[in-house]
Formats: sequence, C-alpha cells, structure tokens
Amino acid sequence: MIPAISEDAPAFPTAYPRHRFFSPARVRALAANTFTELVRLKIFYFLLIFALLLITSSAILIQLSFQDQFQMLKDVSLGAMSIFTSLLAILATAGLLPKDIEDRTLYTVLAKPVSRLEYLVGKLLGVYLLLLVSVVLMGILFFVMLSWRVHYVTSEIRAAGGSAEATQQQIDLLRATAYNPNLWSGGILIYVKACLLASATLFVSTFASSTIFTIIIMVAVYFIGNMQATARDYWQVPSIAGQAGWLIKAFLAFVSLVFPDLQAFNLLDEIVVGTSVGFWLLWKTVGLGVLYSLIYLSAAFFVFSDKEL
Amino acid sequence: MTTPAIAIRNLSKVFPIPFKRERVVAVHDLSLEVAPGQVYGLLGPNGSGKSTTMKIVLGLISPSAGRTEIFGRNSQLVDSHEEVGFLPENPYFYKYLTGFETLKFYARLCGLSGQALRDKVGELLKLVRLEDARDRRLGGYSKGMLQRIGLAQALIQNPRLLVLDEPTAGVDPRGSAEIRDLIVACKERGITVLLCSHLLGQVQEICDRIGILDRGVLVREGKLEDLISIEDQTEMIFENAPPALLAEIGKLMAASYPEARLLEQKKPRTTLERYFLEVTYARPIPDGGSEST
Repeated sequence: MIPAISEDAPAFPTAYPRHRFFSPARVRALAANTFTELVRLKIFYFLLIFALLLITSSAILIQLSFQDQFQMLKDVSLGAMSIFTSLLAILATAGLLPKDIEDRTLYTVLAKPVSRLEYLVGKLLGVYLLLLVSVVLMGILFFVMLSWRVHYVTSEIRAAGGSAEATQQQIDLLRATAYNPNLWSGGILIYVKACLLASATLFVSTFASSTIFTIIIMVAVYFIGNMQATARDYWQVPSIAGQAGWLIKAFLAFVSLVFPDLQAFNLLDEIVVGTSVGFWLLWKTVGLGVLYSLIYLSAAFFVFSDKEL
Repeated sequence: MTTPAIAIRNLSKVFPIPFKRERVVAVHDLSLEVAPGQVYGLLGPNGSGKSTTMKIVLGLISPSAGRTEIFGRNSQLVDSHEEVGFLPENPYFYKYLTGFETLKFYARLCGLSGQALRDKVGELLKLVRLEDARDRRLGGYSKGMLQRIGLAQALIQNPRLLVLDEPTAGVDPRGSAEIRDLIVACKERGITVLLCSHLLGQVQEICDRIGILDRGVLVREGKLEDLISIEDQTEMIFENAPPALLAEIGKLMAASYPEARLLEQKKPRTTLERYFLEVTYARPIPDGGSEST
C-alpha cells in the first residue's frame, strides 16, 4: 500500500510566499534548470574540437616568425571562438521552447505560478550563462596555448645567445605582441554577439513550427546581419543612392530595422593586428548588443504571451 | 455560499484554421461548477473538448467567450495558479534531471527553499514511493514512475485543486491502482480533483460527479450515482445463502408480487484488476530487486 499523506502537512498553502508578478527566484530556478539541461546534453564536447584546432594550428605555426605566429594564433583562436559561440547560441536556444512544448513540460511549468515573461527570461539567462562559461573556457584554452607558445619562443631566443640586453629586449617585444590587452575586448564582443543571437533565436522559436525551421531562419539572419551594413553603405554612395527606387530604400530600411547589424561586432580583425579598440567604441558596441537583445526579448514576449499552447 | 473550486461560465473556444475560412468549435457554451473537495470526472470521446477545457482552466489557452475561475479568481491570471497542481497526459519532464532534482525545480518555482524545500520533496518522494529512485535520472524511469513523479510535482505547493489529464494512461494495473489510491488520499485531505480519463471503470470508482462532453457540448452532468443507477431495479448480494432460501424468495416473489421479475441470479465476480493486484502483490520481491523501467 502507498503511505498516507502526512497528517502534519498543511492541507492548503498558507506558509508559502504569495505570488509576485516577477520573481528573481523563479527566474533563477528556470535559468539554473536550462543551464543544467544544456550541460547534461554534453554540449561542451565542442570544446574538444576547439582545443584540437588550437593544437593543430600551433603545430603549423612553428615555421613562421614569432610575430606572425602570435598573430596567426590569435586570428585562428578568436575566429573559432566567435564561430563556435555563435553556433552554440543558435543551436542551444533553438530547441528549448519546442522541446518543452513537445514533452508537455511547458504545461507543468506554466500551470505553476510562473508568468510567461519569467519563463522566457529564465530560459534566456540559462543560455547566457552557458555562453559565458563557454567563452571563459575557450579563453582559458587560448591563454594556455598562447602562454605555452610564448614560453617556447622565449626559450628559443635565450638558446640563440646574444647580449643579455638584446635578448631581454626581444623577450619584452615578444610578450607585448602576445599579451595584447585588447584580447579582453575581443572576448567581450564575442560574448555579446552570441547573447544577441540567442535572443533572436528565442524570438524566432516563439512562432517557428519546428527546431529545424528556427535554425534555418537564424542561419539566414546571421548572413543577412553580416551583410546588411555592406549593402546599406553601398546604397548610401551618392551616385548610386540617386538611382535607388523607393522600393529598394524601403527594403533596406526594413532589413536594417529587423535584422541585427552583426558587422558592428566584427572588431576582431583590428584586435588581432593589435589596433587598439577605443573604450567608447567597445561600450557603444556592447550597448548595441544589449539593445538588440532587449528588443528581441520583448518581441518574443509579445508573441509568446498570446500563444495558444 | 461556498466559492466553487472551479467555475466555468458560458465558455466557448473556436480555433480558426489557417489559410481557410473555416473554424473548429472545440467548446460551445459550456457552464459547470466543481465544488471544493469533490472529485469531478470530465469525460468524452477524443476531440470532445476535454483537453481544451482543461487548458483554458489552467490559463494555457484563452477562451473565445466566457470565463473560468479557480476558487473565485480568474484562471487566466497567473496568481490563480498558486492553488493548482497539474499533471498532463503522458508527460516526459526533463529526462536529464533526477527525481529529487525535478521536485526541487518545481518547488523553487513555487517559492520554496532551504529546509522547507528538502522536507517537502522528501515527503512527496515517500508519498509516491520513489525514495529509492530519487537519484536516478527521469530518462531511466518507467511510465508508471513518471506518472508518479508527475503527481508529486503537481502536489508540491499543497494545492487546493488538482487537475489530472489521463493520469493512468499507459500505466500497468499496479501503477494505475497506486495512482488511483493517491487520488483517493488527496480527496480525503480535502483536495478538489478534476479528472479527465478514458478509463471509465476507474472514474466510476473515484468520482463523485461527472460531466460528459461530446463535440464541445456538455451533454450530461450530475452526481455519478444519480446518472448511472437503474431506478426500477434492485441488487441484493447474500453471503452463505443456501439454495433453499433462494428458492423460498423466488416463491414469495411469484406469489405476492406477480409484477416483479427476477432478471438474473449469479455469483458475483471480483474485478480482473483486483484479481491481478492480489496475485502480483502476493509475490514477494526478490532480494536486491527493484522496479524495472
């Protein structure tokens, strides 16, 4: 026989906190759950591919001069970090909502005193946390590889001999080339861009009919987002702008409004070659990413709040 | 007057068909009330509007017309969900979470934390007999175990109302009987239950009142006893009655009440479910054995 319900248990909820419209505790529970879900899906396996890529590229780099070596390593690493995090943002977010609906888990969550806004924010924060951990782990792998190369090249310089002063100068130059503080800015931009893509994916998944549809739409958004600035610049050239009809102008205005300008986040090339990214440019770009993310979250809530489940 | 646990007033739901001018009427002008403490069975064939009605009561979809209330509060508003526990049909939950983590997650959504959370989760795991499987991932649970953990999550905030959609669908007779006993235990604690099920035998055993929906319309509604008893017939069951006594009763009936007829005389049978449970419960579980998935 099953045990009886404890006689001491209160029959009705009296001791529990009353409902609030937006509760950080509920959002935290949803975010933690989403993060756990994604981690246990063994999504971090892609880090192995990243590590393999770094090791392979660094083996090839040995033949280059040390300035070229570090530039190449940064180029490969930051490029791979950017692509991997963008892919992760899209793939991890695309399946969250459809899977919860398919498994009817969404019904059990929304039948609790949880608002649809809390649900969306919780899910999104879970993905943001996953992206943060991914960027940090890839950053650590990159830093370990960079430090190992610096150590290797330093040993080579010392072994080559020469005056102590010249050797020290060479080592200082090497360290200055390798440990560029702008690399931090690169990491921040990669993270913000991935968060933006996750927000856009969540928005698409609120009205998409399947996960695969969401992924296809987001791949298109990714390409359009990377090209729209080029198209806009092209049509703003005075000689060409005169020829553009209202239809093209309206289309470009629509594209600029709906799709994120991902080219604004492509400051990595400048970081790799050592060009300093100004403080205001960095925070303006971060601000743009945050603004886009909020707009997509609001749009997702607008669609999801009236969705018939 | 007592506030009904569920009040449905003139509820209609129409689903438009995309790219067509047609529309499907899922529920039409439905009105009913479920009193506190009752076990109410909402019955009907597939596509009769049961699930749509449940989803509207839970605020998962909005009505085209009419209003639904839970203990006097508009059920479309999130705060009315404090009073409700819901178990959907064939839930899967999060396969990667253990039983303990699943209940912890739902408890947090309901505002529980710390020792109160651990106590509540422990109590519910014991109630649904999943203490031994608390650290196993739900991906390895059997159908019956999933339904039981589903019932536990529905009870996590001590709700006054339980909404159960086919709680025993696909569950073996033993698991089904356990869930039925849990529903009865909830009823004894004063919890109102709205139950959707195709297993009419089970509904008959536990429901006080039923409503039958057909193509979105409530065709019958009332106390179960009133609806299914046959007014002009009487059933008598004797124990240790010798054949002579039965013959005597027959003679008396024929002599004194010629209009009365004996329609059937047979030995009553136990139900197949009861027989199955007696046989399977009687077998001891081998040493080290546990419930398989």
